[in-house]
Amino acid sequence: MDALEALVRLARKAREEPIPIFNVADRVRLRIRSERPASVTLIPLGLFGGLSAVAASITLFMAIEFWKYVSSPVMELVAPLPEIRLW
Amino acid sequence: MENTDWSDVSASLTGDDAAYSRIVRRYERAITGLLWRFTRDPAQCEELVQQVFVDAYFSLKTYRGDAPLLHWLRKIATRTGYRYWREKTRESVETTLPDSDVLEQIAAAQDDEIDPTEAAAVLQGLLARLPADDRLVLTLMYFDECSTLEIAERMGWSRAKVKTQALRARRRIKEIAEREHLLEKLGWTL
Repeated sequence: MDALEALVRLARKAREEPIPIFNVADRVRLRIRSERPASVTLIPLGLFGGLSAVAASITLFMAIEFWKYVSSPVMELVAPLPEIRLW
Repeated sequence: MENTDWSDVSASLTGDDAAYSRIVRRYERAITGLLWRFTRDPAQCEELVQQVFVDAYFSLKTYRGDAPLLHWLRKIATRTGYRYWREKTRESVETTLPDSDVLEQIAAAQDDEIDPTEAAAVLQGLLARLPADDRLVLTLMYFDECSTLEIAERMGWSRAKVKTQALRARRRIKEIAEREHLLEKLGWTL
């Protein structure tokens, strides 16, 4: 008998070997859950964006209102100085 | 593709974990049978089986359904096993044939009496001495009865490469078997 024929004979028997059973379904499910990338939900992102827009609007409104009371921003900075008693 | 596979794949893609578990239960036996040829260590084999189904889950979008789901899973399993061997080769684990008692038992037995587990251990022990490419081709031929075309499709190799690989692998395994005096040990010299 040739060595290759012997291997074919061994293989024929080897194919009848009982195979172990592992039942991996639950462990696969756990691994998938742990490896699944966390899905970024759009609701918190939208909420954050909305709140930022409201805050920006309020700030802009207040800035415009205050600007009306300032005749000349440069003079307002300098004007109080002559009134101060230096001596 | 079977209707059950099709509906379970579709459901799995929408995040239905139970549907994917059904796929795992349906095919884990076939995949274990294949990966058992890559390692006879039960813990390692189980790890590989899990890896195949986890990888398959994350690649499920790429499954087009033009071949049965099992063929697609077998392709992933074969590549997983091949990768495992290549990593083991880097660790340079020395494999040995089963001890002479096992060989004597096989030698003494008639063809019908040979223990399939022992026959598989002897054959896998011999194949383990080959480089990963040679080992893969012969493993799929001997254990899975794959044709060169099937091996080429599973591995994404050309059929010519598989044929050349098979020829070289057979020559190498024959040399190893002769060097180990396998036929004499098995009493199959006639």
